[in-house]
Amino acid sequence: MFGLVHLVPGDPVRLALGTRFSQETYDALRERSGLDQPLVEQFFTWFGRALTGDLGVSFRSGETVTSQIAERLPATLTLAFASILVALLIAIPLGTVSALRPRSLVDRVATVISQFGISVPDFWMGIVLILVFAGTLGWLPSGGYVPISEDPGAWLQRLLMPALVTGVVSGSVITRFVRSSMLEALGSDHVRTAQAKGLGTRQVFTWHVLRNALLPLVTVTGVQLAYLLSGVVVVEIVFSWPGLGQLALQAVEARDYPVLQGAILLFAVVFLVINLIVDLLYTAIDPRIRR
Amino acid sequence: MNQPVLAVEDLRVRLRTPRGPADVVNGLSYTVGAGETVAVVGESGSGKSVSVLALLGLLPARVATVTGTARLQGEDLLAMSPDRLREVRGPGAGMVFQDPMTSLNPVLTIGRQLVEGIRAHGDVSKPAARARAADLLREVGLPDPDRALDRYPHELSGGMRQRVVIAIALSNSPSLLIADEATTALDVTVQAQIIDLVEKLQDEHGTGVIWITHDLGVVAGIADRVLVMYGGRCVEDGTVDDVLERPAHPYTRGLLGSLPDLAAPVGPDGEVPELTAVPGLPPPPTDLPPGCVFWPRCPVRSDPRCEDEQPPLAIVSRAAAGAGATASGTTVSGATPSGAHEGDRAHLPHRAATWCAEGTSGTGSPAVAGTSGTGSPSGGAR
Repeated sequence: MFGLVHLVPGDPVRLALGTRFSQETYDALRERSGLDQPLVEQFFTWFGRALTGDLGVSFRSGETVTSQIAERLPATLTLAFASILVALLIAIPLGTVSALRPRSLVDRVATVISQFGISVPDFWMGIVLILVFAGTLGWLPSGGYVPISEDPGAWLQRLLMPALVTGVVSGSVITRFVRSSMLEALGSDHVRTAQAKGLGTRQVFTWHVLRNALLPLVTVTGVQLAYLLSGVVVVEIVFSWPGLGQLALQAVEARDYPVLQGAILLFAVVFLVINLIVDLLYTAIDPRIRR
Repeated sequence: MNQPVLAVEDLRVRLRTPRGPADVVNGLSYTVGAGETVAVVGESGSGKSVSVLALLGLLPARVATVTGTARLQGEDLLAMSPDRLREVRGPGAGMVFQDPMTSLNPVLTIGRQLVEGIRAHGDVSKPAARARAADLLREVGLPDPDRALDRYPHELSGGMRQRVVIAIALSNSPSLLIADEATTALDVTVQAQIIDLVEKLQDEHGTGVIWITHDLGVVAGIADRVLVMYGGRCVEDGTVDDVLERPAHPYTRGLLGSLPDLAAPVGPDGEVPELTAVPGLPPPPTDLPPGCVFWPRCPVRSDPRCEDEQPPLAIVSRAAAGAGATASGTTVSGATPSGAHEGDRAHLPHRAATWCAEGTSGTGSPAVAGTSGTGSPSGGAR
C-alpha cells in the first residue's frame, strides 16, 4: 500500500511549492519531508512512527495527520451509522416480505427495488435528491455538515439525504442476503418441528426463522459498515460532506503522502476491527461455532 | 375405545408444482384407535408423509389443497381455524420427523425448544416447564437430563436427538403420535431402542400411533394394523398378520417379495436366492394412470377393467370366506374369525383395492364384487 501511494506520478514537493521556487527551497523541503531518503527507509521510518501513533504531518496544511483524521472522523461515523440504519430498515422488512411470499408480486417489486438500488449510481441518486428536495421543494439544505452538538435539527436535516443515498445502496445489497437466508431458514425442517409443537406464527418466525437468518445478515452488514466507514467518496463530494473519503481524495490530488497513508491505515484497521466484531458476534449467535 | 382417536375420510391432497397439479393423496380413509399403532407403508413418493403433514396443516398453504375430513377425537382437523389448529398441534397430535439431524433448531438449547412447546399450551411458569422438560428427557431415556437441557443439538448424537424430538412430540401428552420415518435415519440398534421407547410410552399413555415407514421389519415389530400406500391411494389395509402373511394386492406382494428371506432355502451351490424387485417406478403424481394406479407395473393384470377403472377397496379375507370361493385356499385358512382379537376383528377387515386378489385369472373379482357393499366405506373408489 505504501509503495502504491508513492507510485502515483507527481511530486508532492513541486505541488506544495507552486510554480515559482528555487532549487534550494525545493531540496530543503524535500529533505525536511524525508522524501530524499530511499523508499524502503521512508517506509520503516513512517511505520515506526505510526506504531507510536504519530502519522506524520500533512505536506499541504502542516497539521498533524492524526488531528486531520480526528477532525473528519465524527462526520464519517455519523454518516456510516445513519446509512447502515437506513439500510437495515429497508433490507429487513423488504427481504422478509420477499422471502415469505417468493415469486409473488411483492417479491417481484422488492427485487426490482433492490436491483435498482444496486445498479443506480449513488452520485446520480444524490444529485436527483438534491434537485428535488433542496432545489424544487426547498425542504432540505443541499449539503454540508453540522455537528450534532451544535444544532441537532440542522444536523439531521443535512444528514438525511446522504444517509438515504448510501443507505439505499447498502440496503439493496443486504436485502438480497436477507431474502435468501430467510428463505433457507423458512424451508428448514426445524421450522416444521416448531410449527408441529403448536407455536404461534410470530414465535416460529422470531425464534426459528429470523434467529437463524441472523448469521448471514450480520456478515453482510459488517462488510457494508466497513465499506461505509472507509468513506463514501462520491457521496461525500456530492453532499459536501467533510468525511474521511473526501480527505483521502484531497490527499491524492495534492500527493499528500502522510495524510493518504494515514487514511489508508485507518481504513485497514477499521476492516480488521469490524471483522473481529463480526466474528465475535458469530459465536454469540451460533453455538456451533463456540468452543 | 369406541371412538377412534383419529378418523380420516377421503383425504385428498393436490399440490401445485411447476409441472402441473400433482395428486399426491387420492382418497385415503383410515382410523386409529386409542393405544393402537397403524403403520403406513409404501415406497418413496407414495404420499405417506404428505398425507400426515396435511392432517396438521403443515403443508405450505400456497401450494397444497387438502380436502376430506380428519376427525381427531371428533373434531375435524381440516376444517379448523388456524388458531384452533395451533392449539391442537401438541396436545392433540405430536409429530416426530424423519431426520433428527435437521429437525431441531441448531441455535437454541434443547431445554428452550422443549420449554417453548410446553409453554405454548398452558400457563406454565418457566421453572415448572423446565422441570417438566427434564422429566420428559428422563422419560425418553436421555442420560443426565438436567444438563442436557442446556446443551445444543449439535452436542448430541443422532439417536439422542431423536429422543429429544420424541420428548418434544410427547411434551403435551398428545392423544395421537405421528412418527414420520422416525427411525429411518438411525442405525439399527438405535432404531430398536426408539421403537421400544415408543411402545412403552404408548402402553403407559394409551396414545394412538401412526408409524410411517418403508421398513417392513419395523412394521412387523410394532404395528397392530398396516396400511399400504401406492400412488397416493390405500391399496391394502388390515391387521399386520393379514397383510404381511396373506397379502392380497399385487403391489403388497411385490413389496414383501423385495425383502430378503433368510429362511429361504439356499441353492445347491450355496447361492442365495435373488431378491425379487418390483420393476418400474411409481407413477408421477402429476400424471396418474386412469385406472388402477399400479396397473403400469402390475405383474398380474388379470382383469381387463384395471386398465381404466380404479378397483375399489374391498374386503378380501372375509369375502373369500363368506363367498366360499373355490380358488382361495390360502386366504380362507388364515381368516378364521376366532382370534385373540376377536372383538377387534370386526373393526379390522382386511381390505385391498384389487380385482385380482388371487393372482389367478378373474376368479377373485366376483367374490369381492359380491361383498363390497357389506364392508366399511370403500375409500379408494372413484
